[in-house]
Amino acid sequence: MKSKTKRRLFIILFLFPTLFAFAIFYLYPIITVFVTSFCKWDYQNVTKPELYSFSELLSNYKYIFQTYPYFETALVNSLKWSACGALIGTSVAVLAALILSWNLPGTKVVRNVYILPSIISSAAMGLIFLQLYNPRYGMIAQMVRSINPNFKDSILLVQPANFWALTFSYIFFQGTTCIMLLGQIASVPSEIYDAAKIDGATSWKRELYITLPSIKGMIKTVVILGASSGFLIYNEIYFLTKGAAGTTSLTYILRELAIMSPRSQYARANVIGVILILGGLGIIGIINLLFSINFKTKRLKREEE
Amino acid sequence: MAVKSKKVKEHSKAAILIAYTVMLLICAISLFPFVWTLLSSLKADPTLEPGFTLPKEICLDGYVTVLTKLGIFKYFFNSFFCAFISVIISMTHISMSSYVIARMRFPGRGVIVALLMSTMFVPGVALTFPVYRLITSLGLYNSRWGLILIYSCSSIAMSFFVIRNYFASIPRELEEAARIDGCGYLQTFLRIMLPIATPGISIAAVLAFLGYWNEYYWASLVIIDRKLLTVPSLLAQFETSFTTNYNGMLSAIIVILLPPVLLFCFCSKFFVKAMSGGAVKG
Repeated sequence: MKSKTKRRLFIILFLFPTLFAFAIFYLYPIITVFVTSFCKWDYQNVTKPELYSFSELLSNYKYIFQTYPYFETALVNSLKWSACGALIGTSVAVLAALILSWNLPGTKVVRNVYILPSIISSAAMGLIFLQLYNPRYGMIAQMVRSINPNFKDSILLVQPANFWALTFSYIFFQGTTCIMLLGQIASVPSEIYDAAKIDGATSWKRELYITLPSIKGMIKTVVILGASSGFLIYNEIYFLTKGAAGTTSLTYILRELAIMSPRSQYARANVIGVILILGGLGIIGIINLLFSINFKTKRLKREEE
Repeated sequence: MAVKSKKVKEHSKAAILIAYTVMLLICAISLFPFVWTLLSSLKADPTLEPGFTLPKEICLDGYVTVLTKLGIFKYFFNSFFCAFISVIISMTHISMSSYVIARMRFPGRGVIVALLMSTMFVPGVALTFPVYRLITSLGLYNSRWGLILIYSCSSIAMSFFVIRNYFASIPRELEEAARIDGCGYLQTFLRIMLPIATPGISIAAVLAFLGYWNEYYWASLVIIDRKLLTVPSLLAQFETSFTTNYNGMLSAIIVILLPPVLLFCFCSKFFVKAMSGGAVKG
């Protein structure tokens, strides 16, 4: 066999398994989600989705946007959790990473303690927080009662407190993200800090003007990851509220429509799938845009000076 | 590149005070849920002794029940089996494709990289129903192999990124020397490149294992038979299993948390290195 043919065969054989995995888990499902979102497909025709006629093509979308009672709440909540992930989650992770990068005595212990909640299943964390919010004996419920003795309900059923109760059950646990940022901070050349020190810059100024701009790329990645995971939140909702009292999300209603609904509304669930894919891409696009605008503004200012 | 080192003396007293306050808060927030759960699990009836207090009398009944009646080790085995086999399969195929993409030039390479990396931004949850239907039509519903198929095919991007970067960092001369010595493509990969890339593959494998071990969404969707449940799906059933037995439920949570926590305690250096891309010492 010729060497060129051997090489080609080797490349094809080595790429095949991953491309096959990509095809069955991503390509085929993505095409199915998009196509069947324009089909009639529910308990009446479980095995055979039928494409709607041209005039009715958007029927499922119309139903979800105009009739489905939980869509608006779910969309608003998912967007709010996405914003929380991008703003609160990232801020917490960046602050922790900056302080841990100082390498003060005790840093290693704190760093390892901070990673702990991240290596534990969000299902376990959800169950723990469910107990912490338990009105009968939960620690957080008791803390709330010490401030407001008349409060007898479950925090998870009172709006808007339940939104924040859910958010606080995961948003501060940014150990993994913090370590990713620390890895990036460690690669900033020390000479820049030495020069800033000679110029008399304080710790915070050095972090603000050297560290943060140097790790901007990683911060952008972290913002994208935080916003995406907030947009796709499911486990916490399932374990804490089961979507009750206005805490549902897009992912939660997707599963309700597809799997739990007695009417097996597959096509309508896939409309939510389309919204999740496009929404996720939109969020990434907006974050990229915001970071590039900020960068361009700074460059223009520098050029003017 | 010189690595930044910021010593204590470089910071003002106020800055150090703020830093320690933040570090204290980090520890408090991270440990509070676990310590409270541990303390409450040792109380005979946590509802009668609520709060962040030591138990009046240590009660281990919950632990005895969990270890003898719940058959917890069966669920640990299920989780371990699914995660371990999935890691083996995914690391094998991702190592193969990462090697070819990192070390060889061929038409369509850029498109393949873009496709594989795009999986990072496609929410698996959005694909719930097609994947669920695929698993059902393959006859893998309510089977560990269904879950293994999903895990092995999903989250390609992260492992691909880590392993490809590792292969790309290996000097080209090694490969050329092997070729001169008469090694074919497969031999070069198996005997030269794969052993050198083992650290990079191990990092990806540890991260993937942890992800599969903790995964709940697909596990709860694909497996319904109680005997086959993985640990995170078992947790979802606790509310019904222990409706009034809070001591039992909290003890079960602690037992379930132990394996990943112990694993982390013994391998924290490795985890930190893996998560920081090798830049932070553990």
